Amino acid sequence: MSAPKRTNPRTESLKRLVSCLLASLVVALMWGPQEGSFGNFWFGITQSIFKPRVLVFLALGVVLFLVISFWPKVVPYLTRPGVGPLVSGGVTVLAAQTLMHWGDGIGDSKFGTVATAVSNTPGIAPLTKAFFGWLCWVMLAVIFVLAALAIVRGIKVLAWVAAGLSLVAAVIAYVAHHSVVTYAHLLDHSLGVYVEIIGYLVIITAAVVTALSSAEMAEGRVAVNRVLGWRPGLPLVVLGLVVGLLAFASATWFSPQNFNATMSDTHERFRGTGLAPLAVQYLIWLGWTLFAVTTLVGAAAAYLRNRVLGWVAAAGGAISVVLTLITIYDFSKLAGQLHVDSATGPWQNLGAGGWMACGAFFLIGAGGFIAATAHGSVREALARAADSDVVASGRAASTQFLSAPGAMRSGIMLAIAVALFYPPTATGFWQSVLVSEIGIYVLLAIGLNVVVGWAGLLDLGFIAFYAIGSYTTAYLVGSLPIKPPSWLHMSPLLAIPFAVAICLLAGLALGAPTLRLRGDYLAIVTLGFGEIIRIVAVNADGVTNGSRGPDTQVPHPVIHLGPIHITWGLNQLQYWYLLLVFVVIVLLAFRRLENSRIGRAWAAIREDEVAAQATGINTFQIKLLAFAIGASTSGLAGVFFASQVGFFNPDNFVLNNSILVVAYVVFGGMGSLPGAMAGAALLTWLPEFLKDQVPAADRQMWIGAVVLAMMIFRPGGLLPARRRAIELRGFDGAGSQPRAVPASEGM
Amino acid sequence: MTVLLSVEDIEVRYGAIKALKGVSFEVNEGEVVALLGANGAGKTTTQKTVSGMMRPSLGQIVYDGYRIDGIPPHELITLGICHVPEGRRVFPRMTVNENLEMGAFRFKRPDAAVFEHVLELFPRLRERIKQPAGTLSGGEQQMLAIGRALMGKPRLLLLDEPSMGLAPLIVKQIFDIVRGINSEGVTVLLVEQNASQALALADRGYVLETGEIVLTGTGAELLADDRVRAAYLGEEIAS
Ligand SMILES: Nc1ncnc2c1ncn2[C@@H]1O[C@H](COP(=O)(O)OP(=O)(O)OP(=O)(O)O)[C@@H](O)[C@H]1O
Ligand SMILES: [Mg+2]
Repeated sequence: MSAPKRTNPRTESLKRLVSCLLASLVVALMWGPQEGSFGNFWFGITQSIFKPRVLVFLALGVVLFLVISFWPKVVPYLTRPGVGPLVSGGVTVLAAQTLMHWGDGIGDSKFGTVATAVSNTPGIAPLTKAFFGWLCWVMLAVIFVLAALAIVRGIKVLAWVAAGLSLVAAVIAYVAHHSVVTYAHLLDHSLGVYVEIIGYLVIITAAVVTALSSAEMAEGRVAVNRVLGWRPGLPLVVLGLVVGLLAFASATWFSPQNFNATMSDTHERFRGTGLAPLAVQYLIWLGWTLFAVTTLVGAAAAYLRNRVLGWVAAAGGAISVVLTLITIYDFSKLAGQLHVDSATGPWQNLGAGGWMACGAFFLIGAGGFIAATAHGSVREALARAADSDVVASGRAASTQFLSAPGAMRSGIMLAIAVALFYPPTATGFWQSVLVSEIGIYVLLAIGLNVVVGWAGLLDLGFIAFYAIGSYTTAYLVGSLPIKPPSWLHMSPLLAIPFAVAICLLAGLALGAPTLRLRGDYLAIVTLGFGEIIRIVAVNADGVTNGSRGPDTQVPHPVIHLGPIHITWGLNQLQYWYLLLVFVVIVLLAFRRLENSRIGRAWAAIREDEVAAQATGINTFQIKLLAFAIGASTSGLAGVFFASQVGFFNPDNFVLNNSILVVAYVVFGGMGSLPGAMAGAALLTWLPEFLKDQVPAADRQMWIGAVVLAMMIFRPGGLLPARRRAIELRGFDGAGSQPRAVPASEGM
Repeated sequence: MTVLLSVEDIEVRYGAIKALKGVSFEVNEGEVVALLGANGAGKTTTQKTVSGMMRPSLGQIVYDGYRIDGIPPHELITLGICHVPEGRRVFPRMTVNENLEMGAFRFKRPDAAVFEHVLELFPRLRERIKQPAGTLSGGEQQMLAIGRALMGKPRLLLLDEPSMGLAPLIVKQIFDIVRGINSEGVTVLLVEQNASQALALADRGYVLETGEIVLTGTGAELLADDRVRAAYLGEEIAS
């Protein structure tokens, strides 16, 4: 045996320094133009490397080197309460001030552009000028340093100061943005200022956590969980309060061509136009009153842990949402009838205000609901959670993300609020992205998660079932060259059961002969299947109309059910809500499935197929079931897709898409429903987001970098499933519990 | 004494390899029967064939009066044939509790009384009930594997080398527990390399050699047999 190689610490750090500098050069290249020409092949590289800007990147490399070198010294501070929120809050604010839009209609509307415009505008308020000039950066730096000091040195007073300053900073940012928008009369959809405010709120949380933390809560997550779980439901109510204040006091409620009207302006505008009394009263006092009352009741319910008040707040929130919706419907409809400033009709020309108010009421109601349904005190719940999980995972449950009582449900409620009330305020572009990218792929990822995540079968031909669903729909509505018999001719929504059934059969047909194959072989066969379906679609001219796709448009969905008549048209929002219904139904069904006998059988097969067989699981049948369920979900997405786009062709079903769905599931965290959804949402959103941020040619590279970073730092995915987390952390990580056994027992 | 399991002249192949070349034996109700043999003799193959994981190319298996060869394992388990496969094979990422629940998969819900009984047999499992099975020691995993099979309420328990890789003291504990399980009326077909312990426990035994039964007798007879002593107990042949 040769002696272990001795490493010289100096050469070690030299190596590390060189790697860091090289990495920073790579990032510099990534950030620069990816261009070249026959005349100047090196253009991109010279632009990236031989310019002063490279110094910035090299400096970053040195910082990285220092961080890595002194990591052991840094680590003890990182688990201090508040570090996580502080860093994420700081990064959020930074992102808001670099990447986000701050005023639609000013150039590319990013922060820098707006700031330049502000500095070139004379008569704007000095505070605004200062904010966009230097104040925003100084505030961020000062607050960050103060909070960091407070955390490192444990100075509580400093933490309170930092929290106070953050609040001031958030207000200043808000005022500055508002004054720009009003000064320039912008029709503003930008989110920068809101993201900045959220960032500062997160920093405030960090500071408060630091100020309140004691030895008992030495670890950050424990402290955060304590703060979040102090009064279940209260965080949602507070969030609702903030959103509601913004909505009622300053957000735009009505914005046709030439003006932005806040709630009171809207009332002025519709005075004497015969607006329905309810809407009039809402705009004058009812809205504010509802807001005040529900907030008070919700806060009281959460603070006092009072069930009855909680239910009252929940009911109040629900009623208020309905009243708000009626109001904005009424005045937008009236505006269309009266052609107020070329307004176009119901649900059109609305600003964010009404939707924010809905969101606020929803959050407050949800807070009340959580307060009403949360059981026991925090301490008990934590103790219970710790008792049940501490051995299993080797870490106290209270240190796990969102394990505080009500925290998980608060997160879900927040997600629902965003899903319901954010899309109407988004621009048309983002609405269509939401529907045809994010939404559809979320549905596909949920379906594939059953196959890949739960049953552990690698399916690389998943998009084939999506294609089958789409073509089945096209056939049933009569858009293909071969027509269905007249009794089978139907509208798209009625096609759902047929398409789902056909995909289920297709799943069985593909699965039955192939599921006996293992791992790689199955992947290859499914990959082949996916391509076969696409190639058949291209070549079976008489049936599918070949590469041109269906020759007449697949009609949009319609519902005629008794008194209910809904017709889907070109408005993406309608599709979004339809998709939401699909996703919710599928989610509810799958959640039950996950915890059912079948779900447990999948888990067992994934872990050890022979043992699963030995415990009496019909492994083949159960795997086939996963395949069929995944396929039918994909088919459902196919129906939606076909009737939403109207025209499609085989190019929509290329191999690339199958691989992308697999990537989404893996990225989000295999086997975890929230993970699959988050993964799909994030990775479909990212390319669209990057459109504004980097040259088109660079987009794939940045996405690749994100995925790579993810796989290095969070190999389990965004939101890993519990079991997978154990798998990846390894049992050693889990076994921080000492398991020493007296020698006499000797086991 | 009624015959519970009778294996009649079965031949089992892995492709071209004949792993069993006409093996016959019987297990009576309430007995412990040991199958001995060197590595590669075909013991595991025999058990897998009995539990339905493999099907014989010739011969038949009769259990409780019915012919069962070719019936898949998830159906055989409903007849009470529970198999503890070679090498323990617990579900490593599931907790001890979940592993035991999986053992009762054939029932709508696990039988609480059986669950309690298993934890009484293996108190160590109770202490580790919420721990992932992969973090258990080898001996504990073996206990878990046996406990999991018991959750399926076996009538015939197939144990494949329960002593593999365990310290003598633990082997003794496990064999004591197997004896206890047997005394509650469960018939046991035991595959072992550890001949002396297995034969001390077994009512009868069979010795397999390259796919054929070469010796049979009661536990005591086999324990006294020179060939067995030479081959499995590592003793010099006296004569
Ligand atoms: N999956 C397989 N494919 C091909 N041959 C196999 C397979 N499994 C077992 N065999 C062969 O069948 C024969 C019997 O194997 P078996 O596993 O039954 O032996 P065993 O008696 O259990 O041995 P051990 O004591 O080592 O566990 C061996 O020759 C082995 O190589
Ligand atoms: Mg064996």
